[in-house]
Amino acid sequence: MEVQKDARISAIDIAKHFGDKASGTLTPVLDGVSMNIQEGEFVVILGPSGCGKSTFLKILGGILPASSGKILIDGTDYGTQVPRELLKRFGFVFQNNNLLQWRTAAGNLKFMLETMRLKGEAWQGRVSEMLEVVGLQDYQDVYPHELSGGMRQRVGIARALVHDPDVLIMDQPMGALDAITRQMLTFELLDIWHKTQKTIIMVTNNVNEAIILGNRVFIFSQLPAKILQEIPIDIPFEERNHQVFSSPRFLELREKLNHHVRATLSLEEPA
Amino acid sequence: MKKKSIRKKKGIDWMSIIPPWILLAIIFAVWEIAAKTTGISEYILPPMSKIIHGVITKFPGELLPHFLLTVRVIVLGFIFATILGISLAAIFSQFNIITKAVTPVIIWLVITPMITLIPLMTLWLGYDPVLRTYVVILQATPIIALNTLNGFVNVDNDKVELAKSVGCTRMQRFTKIVFMNAMPQVFTGIKLGSIFSTIAALSADIVSGNAGLGFKISQFTKYNNVYMSYGTIFLVGLIGLTLYKIIERIERRVVLWKN
Repeated sequence: MEVQKDARISAIDIAKHFGDKASGTLTPVLDGVSMNIQEGEFVVILGPSGCGKSTFLKILGGILPASSGKILIDGTDYGTQVPRELLKRFGFVFQNNNLLQWRTAAGNLKFMLETMRLKGEAWQGRVSEMLEVVGLQDYQDVYPHELSGGMRQRVGIARALVHDPDVLIMDQPMGALDAITRQMLTFELLDIWHKTQKTIIMVTNNVNEAIILGNRVFIFSQLPAKILQEIPIDIPFEERNHQVFSSPRFLELREKLNHHVRATLSLEEPA
Repeated sequence: MKKKSIRKKKGIDWMSIIPPWILLAIIFAVWEIAAKTTGISEYILPPMSKIIHGVITKFPGELLPHFLLTVRVIVLGFIFATILGISLAAIFSQFNIITKAVTPVIIWLVITPMITLIPLMTLWLGYDPVLRTYVVILQATPIIALNTLNGFVNVDNDKVELAKSVGCTRMQRFTKIVFMNAMPQVFTGIKLGSIFSTIAALSADIVSGNAGLGFKISQFTKYNNVYMSYGTIFLVGLIGLTLYKIIERIERRVVLWKN
């Protein structure tokens, strides 16, 4: 795949395997995944569970190195591993919120500022600002174990935003939530994306979420993961609300996505 | 939305305070009745009232200097052992291979009763009472280090990934994630350390002689002052229990996220 010159992030031919050949434990997880992500785009990766979607995100977010391929950020080639200095430009939202249980909601946000050595009042001000963005301005001093699952995940999102990254990487951010909270947070996330103008890359296994949020949806195959389809979602932002579920375009896209997802699975029923 | 803050229980938790006292009262009562009705010799089972009365009357004059010595040995030794145990664990945990190498050695030291070294240590260091503090340090450090090390090396993969995603330095990873994450295990180690310290100090008293509550226990027993032996043994238990409870209080303030 070609590198697009103006892309914010380009992942070219990313492959990843765990284990090694010598001990016979070699497990290929990603097999030549390539994508160009533009600034301000909301890209969704959809695929069956255990298909290596999360591994791909961890490579983009600098948590894991790729086995081969290259990552380009603003046109600069960084090889298989995003360097440490660039991690400030990413915010990672984990599947199970991954909050530090010994820190309050605000404390969890401050953790980012401390480790990244972002000092000064402006940064401190962003802590309450970001908690406000996720609707938790009154819960600054509350510990994670006193918050509901949805609230914890919101803190996780605020934490990923507090250092003002260019790119938000979200690994099934709503995977552990109940259906009602999940839908509510989906629309909130759409709103956050609109307000903050961040580039977002999100992994999900939920087709509705993918259509409501995404500009483009990539469908991953089962292990080792390849991109099977790239589907643009042409529903304008204004129409992405609670009424969208009954719009013909939404239903059409859902059918299309479901069809491709079904194709990746031989046993499981699509969601 | 209303302002939310941490809901801490301000009131006293009577349900965890009353039951132990009731049980203690029952034990004392049964003891008292058994001693007075079964006809067992007072040299084997002195009545509880006599034990308590004896300790209270003899505490200010006869027991106090020994009490102070033993408490000092326990507390000093325990504090040094806590600092030493946690520091050693912090250093060991930085290198996987060292952790693997030292763990069996630490367990070996935990098992070794350090009082067995007192005769040898007396040979090198003489009869200095500071010797007892060394014994306490030697006995309590390994158990604290063992638990702490266990906490330092078993960090959730999620937390490691969080550290990587923000590009934590080695130091940041240790102070902001590994250390805090290990707090529950660190406190388990410290609590066990307090128990080990008390036992070690008492054993050191008995072996070294001259002074200390352990010395008094063996002295009372030698002169057939059985009720005072029992009384002093209870007093020692009280020291250990108090120390344990103090640490438990600190733990509840630090490890907020448990229960």
